[in-house]
Amino acid sequence: MLCAGPGGGSNDVQWCFSQVKGAIDDDVAEADIISTVEFNQSGELLATGDKGGRVVIFQQEQESKNKLQCRGEYNVYSTFQSHEPEFDYLKSLEIEEKINKIRWLPQKNAAHFLLSTNDKTIKLWKISERDKRPEGYNLKEEDGQYRDPNTVTTLRVPVFRPMDLMVEASPRRVFANAHTYHINSISVNSDCETYLSADDLRVNLWHLEITDRSFNIVDIKPANMEDLTEVITAAEFHPNQCNTFVYSSSKGTIRLCDMRAAALCDSHAKLFEEPEDPNNRSFFSEIISSISDVKFSHSGRYMMTRDYLSVKIWDLNMESRPVETYQVHEYLRSKLCSLYENDCIFDKFECCWNGNDSVVMTGSYNNFFRMFDRGYQQDMTLEASRENSKPRSVLKPRKVSTGGKRKKDEISVDSLDFNKKILHTAWHPLDNIIAVATTNNLYIFQDKLN
Amino acid sequence: MECAFEAQNLISISLRKIQSSRTQRGGIKLHKNLLVTYVLRNARQFYMSKNLSQMQRTNPYEDVTVVRERQEYLEWTGSFTELADDFYCNFTGVESDTWHCGAHQPNGQPAEVAHQGASACAIDSPSDSDLMVSDACWSCADKSSWELSIPNTQANQKTVLDLDTHVVTTVTNGYFHTDCCAQPKQPQGAQCYTKKRKIDISYHIVDPEFYLPDFAPVPCKRMRSDDDSHSDSDQLDSTNISNLISVLGSGGLSEFVSWQQTDLEQIFASQTICLKHTLLTGSGWTRAIEAF
Repeated sequence: MLCAGPGGGSNDVQWCFSQVKGAIDDDVAEADIISTVEFNQSGELLATGDKGGRVVIFQQEQESKNKLQCRGEYNVYSTFQSHEPEFDYLKSLEIEEKINKIRWLPQKNAAHFLLSTNDKTIKLWKISERDKRPEGYNLKEEDGQYRDPNTVTTLRVPVFRPMDLMVEASPRRVFANAHTYHINSISVNSDCETYLSADDLRVNLWHLEITDRSFNIVDIKPANMEDLTEVITAAEFHPNQCNTFVYSSSKGTIRLCDMRAAALCDSHAKLFEEPEDPNNRSFFSEIISSISDVKFSHSGRYMMTRDYLSVKIWDLNMESRPVETYQVHEYLRSKLCSLYENDCIFDKFECCWNGNDSVVMTGSYNNFFRMFDRGYQQDMTLEASRENSKPRSVLKPRKVSTGGKRKKDEISVDSLDFNKKILHTAWHPLDNIIAVATTNNLYIFQDKLN
Repeated sequence: MECAFEAQNLISISLRKIQSSRTQRGGIKLHKNLLVTYVLRNARQFYMSKNLSQMQRTNPYEDVTVVRERQEYLEWTGSFTELADDFYCNFTGVESDTWHCGAHQPNGQPAEVAHQGASACAIDSPSDSDLMVSDACWSCADKSSWELSIPNTQANQKTVLDLDTHVVTTVTNGYFHTDCCAQPKQPQGAQCYTKKRKIDISYHIVDPEFYLPDFAPVPCKRMRSDDDSHSDSDQLDSTNISNLISVLGSGGLSEFVSWQQTDLEQIFASQTICLKHTLLTGSGWTRAIEAF
C-alpha cells in the first residue's frame, strides 16, 4: 500500500491529471449532475450516480505488460437506469430519482453487487458479464423464432459458444416502503449479510435477502414534532465490528451505538461532541456545525466528520473532542450571510480517507479540493478543471488569498465561483488514484510515478 | 445597527426559503427547513434583544419588567405606529462606517448607535425563553453584501412577504415598494392584487407519517403507540404554526402570524402611516407575512 502525502516534506506526492468523464458543455443538464462516487473494495470498479437516476460504472483496464509503471485507465463498464421518478399519490409528493448513495458489496463470485438508493427506495443490483451464449436449440431458431415441430426430426444438445462481452445490470432486490423521510445514507455491514439505511429521523437494519421487512434500530422522532431539534445526517457501520455503527446529527454530534446492548439503539454507547467556541457564535452557528458526512477509517480506530467549514478526526476512545481539526475554507466564515442567501451554506460536502488512513480529502468551491496529510501536518489545495487536463500534467497547488494583498497565482475569495463545487470525492482503496466529481464531470487523478 | 438590519434581512430571506420549500421537487427537506428555523430564531432573538436594549436606552429609568411587558404588548397588539418606531432605520450612506438606527424620539430626533465594527464579538447563546440584552453584536457579513442603491434619505422600512405573489415588499415611509416580484410593477389602481382571500395561516408542514395507512407493509420492532397517532392528527390543526417553525420557542412566529389575522381594512382606517400600495385598494385581502 503506497504511502501518500499531499505535497511537501520528504514524501512528496505529485498529483497528475489522468482522465475526465462527462460532457464538455458549459450548459449542464440537471440530470447529469453527479450525486455520488464510490470505488469498490478492490478499486477496479468506480461507480457514479447522478440526479437523473442513472448509475455509470467504470472499470480499470488491466495494466499493460508493455507499459510498466503505468496504471490502467478507467473506461465505461456498465450504464443503467437505477431509479425512476415516482409520485406518492397519498401525500401528493414527487419522489426524486436522484441517486443519493451507492455502496458496493464485497465480491463473492464473478458478479459484482451494489446498493443504490434515492430518497425512498434502496435497490440491490447485480452486475455480471456474459461472454457466452447457448446455441443449437431444438425448438427455436437462432433468431428466436419457434420452429415448426413437424420439421424437428432429430435432437441435439445446445452448447455454449463465445460471444462479444456483454455486461448486464439486473435489479435483484428492491427495499421499499421503509422510510418516511429522505434517505441520506446506506452502509453495508462487515458481516456481508446486513446493511443499514438512514433517513432524517430513523435508522433501519436490513438483511440483504429480505425485502419485505426491516428493523428500526434508531428513532429520534419526538412524540411531538414541534419538539424536533435535530435530524440524522449520516450513518455508517464500523468496518470491522459488525455490532457497531455511528450516526451524525445536524447539531454536530456523533453517536456510536452497539447493537448488542439493546434491540433499539436510541441510547448511544458513546457521544462525540465538541463544545462550541462562543467567540464564533453567529446567526449561522447551527448550520455550519451540522455534520454532512461521517466516515470510519479503514483501521476502524478513527472516524472523520465533515461540517461546513472543517474536517475533524475523532479517536473512538475519546468523546470529548476531536484529535485533529482541519479548516477547509475558513475564509468563508465572513461570507456566511451571502452563502445563506444563495443556499450554498446548505451544501453537503463529503470526505474520504486514503488507503492507509494517512491522508484525508474533501471538496470545496471553485472546483477546489483539499487534502490533509495527518502525519506531516500538511495540506494542499488542488483544482479540477479542463484547463489542467493535459494527460499526465502535474497539478499545481492553488491558494486562496485571504489578506489584503493578493500574490500572483492566488485567487481572491470574492473571485471564487460558488456554482462550481466539489461535493463528492473518492480515493482508491489501495492506490494513489482519486476520483473527484465536479458538477457534471468526473476527474480522475493519480500520483506521478517516477 | 448593521447587524440589526442583517437580522431583519435574514428573517425575510428565511421566510422566503420556507415558503419556497413547500413547492420544491421531492417534497420538503426536513433538514434544511430545520436549519432555516434556527436562523430565524437567532435573528429574531437578536433583533428583540436589540429592540429591548434600545428601549432601555431611551427610558433608562424604566423598569426592565415594564419594558419587557411593553415589548410583548407591541408584539401582540400589532400597532403599526408604535412598531414603526421600533423598526425605524436611518441609512445615511452606503459606505458609511456608522449605521444609524433608532426609534423616533418624542422630540422627533433619531438616536444614534454607532456600529461597533464588523469583527465578531462574543455573544451569549440565545435561549428560547429569554430576551437578551446585549451590547455585543453578531459577526456580520462584509459590508459589500449590504450595499444598497437607495437614496440618501431617511426612511421607515418594514419587510413584508406576500404568500400569494411571492413578492417581498418594503414599506418605506408607509409606502410599499416592491423589491422583487415576478410581475412588472402595476400602476396605482391596477387589479392584480384585489383577490378576496381569507388569510391563511398555512405554514404548518404536515407530518408525512400522518398519511400512513393502517396496515404497515414493513413491520418494525418499534410499535407505533396510540399517543403517536393522536399527535399526528393534531399536527393537521390549521391553527398551528409549522411544526418546524415552532422550534423558535416561546412566541415562535406567532407574533408574525398575528399580522395575518388582522383585518387590513381596520388597519387602514386606524393607522397613522398611509399605505398607498394597490393591494389595499378596495376590499382585497392578501396573505401577507410581515417580517416585522
